[in-house]
Formats: sequence, structure tokens, C-alpha cells
Amino acid sequence: MENAALIGLSRQIALGRELDVIANNMANVSTNGYKARQSRFKEFLMPGASAAAFRQPDRGLSFVAETGTALDPSPGAIERTGNPLDAAIKGDGFFVVQTPAGERYTRNGAFTLNAQGQLVTSDGHTVMGESGPIAFSPQETGIEIGADGTVSTTQGQRGKLRLVRFADPQTLRNEGSNVFSSTAPAQAAGTAAQVQAGAIERSNVKPVIEMSRLIDVNRSYTTISTMLTRMDELRRTALSRLSDQNA
Amino acid sequence: MRALHTAATGMMAQELNVQVISNNIANLRTTGYKRQQTHFLDLLYQHLRRAGSATSDQGTQLPSGISIGSGVKAASTIRAMAQGNLTSTERDYDVAIRGEGFFRIRMPDGRTAYTRDGSFDLDSQGQLVTRDGYLVEPGITVPQTAKSVTLTAAGQVQAMIPGQTTPQDLGQIQLARFVNKTGLESMGDNLFLETAASGPAIDGNPGAEGFGNLQQSYLEEANVNAVTELSSLIAAQRAYEMNAKVVTAADQMLSSSTQMMRG
Repeated sequence: MENAALIGLSRQIALGRELDVIANNMANVSTNGYKARQSRFKEFLMPGASAAAFRQPDRGLSFVAETGTALDPSPGAIERTGNPLDAAIKGDGFFVVQTPAGERYTRNGAFTLNAQGQLVTSDGHTVMGESGPIAFSPQETGIEIGADGTVSTTQGQRGKLRLVRFADPQTLRNEGSNVFSSTAPAQAAGTAAQVQAGAIERSNVKPVIEMSRLIDVNRSYTTISTMLTRMDELRRTALSRLSDQNA
Repeated sequence: MRALHTAATGMMAQELNVQVISNNIANLRTTGYKRQQTHFLDLLYQHLRRAGSATSDQGTQLPSGISIGSGVKAASTIRAMAQGNLTSTERDYDVAIRGEGFFRIRMPDGRTAYTRDGSFDLDSQGQLVTRDGYLVEPGITVPQTAKSVTLTAAGQVQAMIPGQTTPQDLGQIQLARFVNKTGLESMGDNLFLETAASGPAIDGNPGAEGFGNLQQSYLEEANVNAVTELSSLIAAQRAYEMNAKVVTAADQMLSSSTQMMRG
């Protein structure tokens, strides 16, 4: 009987974790280039003590265990902003950003210039081109980003945005601030990715799905709470009935 | 439950978003106003299981780890410095900039401010000033007797003086531009200040390389698009509500746990 409570608890812990993931997705519903995560669970069989000699042998106990939070690599909506420095990626690819901790990857194309005229992210990290950071001189105007990532001004070509892709997007690790790191090596994106200038990729969180998942989590959790309460009542009744008997 | 705090960061972010949008809408008719846009970043993650860590001696690896994020933060309210529409005013001292550049304005405290709002006027001494009475740099003084003041696209100010046959040069309006004009600090009254992020001002004449040219008797409208702002407002409001729902759900789950214990 204790097992039922423990199994219920394992599910509640998992649901609490799932709610955290949903809350983070919902909080980032307007974060540029954000990729939703989704909890994955598995059955965790507990061998326990079993006596197979009975006519109805004991069954294994299956707890819930969390295996991971899978990244949803699907593209977000591309919104036109009219800012010539904004860039969205169509297809499979990431921009490369140089941070103090090393190279990071992002789909957030809300770029700006810093005081040195370098192309940077809204956090101030330099955006990497095929041959180092992309910089402009003060006299240059008419910055244009081409579909292949070529950055040019009225004074000619200034570089080409470096685009990379990953064979398995699940190897990407969220580092916060819209950037990812990866344990797997990055490959050149080539023709898999195209750049659209003057637009930004929004979050790929689908509010409807998150809301329905939220309701599901909420109801499952409260159902288990009710079940645990019933179990408690059952035990209480059993104890009081048994104690009423004269020894 | 972390979800409560995570959803709270989401609600705060959307609140900021609504503030910025409502400021854009309020300035729909402000001359030379540049619309702002909020950009968000996700917060730190807690990595409970790392993707790629070994799951056996045989070299099998975890295909995906457990990463739990802790919400969202605002990164910047960046200004879209795109050109606004020019509208005709038929006033002599209204000037619009077509293209790059800002007018330089001498503030009463001696600082230099920058603006795209060219609705100028003359003060009692005949000096070209803004609507607030601040001097336009470099100073231009229009004689009292002057008639038909003209301002060329290259910024030269000329006027006809009675008794003369050729127009007299009164001065040259200069523009300033910045490496990173989105880094300018707004100080209200349509004025901007130079910051470390914007880089130093680069002065030049209108029409020179990299600078826009001037258009007399026109003003630059705000570059706010009412339809875009309203649809962003709706999206922000709904996102706020959905984050509030997450708070409600987390609360219900917590309370169901609390109610399990009965006397």
C-alpha cells in the first residue's frame, strides 16, 4: 500500500518538473529565436521483492522517471521589423556569436552595432563572420544583408555571416541569453540555411499546445493528490476498524 | 515550485512590453519620434542531466539532457531608427532630414543634444531655435529685415535682404551622425544624447557622403505603424494572461498538495 503513495509521488514530482518547463516556455513566448523544450518521461520498473510462487505473482512497480527535456527545433514565425541589421534564418542553421566563454550559437538575429562599428547581439557579443567579426567604418551607410549572409554597404562587401548547423539538435545546451553551446562539432550550414534581412525569428512556442499541456499537468497532479488522500482515508479507516475489535 | 517564479518573470516581461508599445502609440504624432521595440532573452538554465553524458560502459550516451529554464528578462528596448514619412507644413523654419543624421542642439546647460525633429523657429534675436527655445548648432541668425528664407538640400541658409539683388548667405546647418545610432540615450523632448555605446558624433554637411539631405517646409513624422503596434499590444496582453494562467495552475497544484493533509 505504501507503494501506491510512492508511485503517485514519483508522478507528482515529474509533473512539477513538467510545469517548470511549460512555465519557461510560456515566459519566453516573445523571446526572439527561443526554442521550446518539452519534458520526456519513461517508466522506471522497480524489481522489488516479488514472490512468483503465488497463483497471482506480484507485479513489478513502475515509477515515473524523467529522461530529458527535448528541444523542439522547428522554426518560429518570421516577423518583419524593417531594421536593416535584423536577420532571420530560414532553414537549418545558427549564427555564431563570440562570448567570453567561447563560441556560442543563436537564432536570435536582433543585431545592432557597438561604438566600434562591429555587428553585435543585444548582449554586446560580437557576431562572427566567415573571417572574424564584421565591422563597419563610420562613413559607411546602406548596410545590406544578402540571402547567403553576405554583408555589404555602399563601400562594398564587408564580410559574410558564419552560419553553422548541427547534425543532432538535441546536443544543443541552453546557456541563457538566447544562446546555445554544443558538445557536438558545428558544421558549415551551406545551402541548408538562408538569411532574411530586416526580419526576426520569433519564439517557436505554440501557446495553445502549452496551455493544453498546462491543463493536463494541473489535472493529473490534482487527481493524484485526490488519490493519495483516498489512500490516507483507507488506511485510517482500516486502522480504526481493526482497533475496534476486541482482542 | 519554480514555475511560479518563472511565470512571474514572464508577466513582468510582458508588462514592460505593453509599456513600450503604449509609449509608441502615445507618440504616434510626435515629430521625429523613433519607435522602440523590446527584445527579450531567456534566463539561466539548470542542467540536471547533461546531454551526451555516458549511460553505460559500452559508450552509449544520453540523447537529450534535462534543462530547466528560469524564465525571461528584457535585453533592450532598441529604437528602430528607420526613416519616418515626410509631411508638408508650409512653414519656412520646418526642416526634415531625408536619410542619416541628426540636428545638433545646444542645451541651456552647455551640453549638445541631437534630434530628428526639425520644427524650428526664430527667437527674439532672430536665432534659429527649437520649439523649446534651444539654439540650433551651428548658430544661424536671420536679420529682421530678411525675406523669403530658403534652406537648400545641402543645408545652406539664404535670405533676401531688401535693397540687395542676390540672396545673402546666413550660414550652414550641420548634421551629426553616429556609428551606432541605436545606442543614443533618449532624454525626452525628442532629444537624444551621445553615449559610450553610440560612439562620438561625426559632424558633416547635409548631402555629404553618409549624410542625408534636408527638405525645407517638411517635418518627419513618427515611424510608428499603428496597425503593427496594436497587433503587438494584443499579443503582449494575451501572453501576459497565459503567464498568469501558469501561476494559477501552479497555485492549484500546490493547494491540492496542501489539502492532502487533513486533521
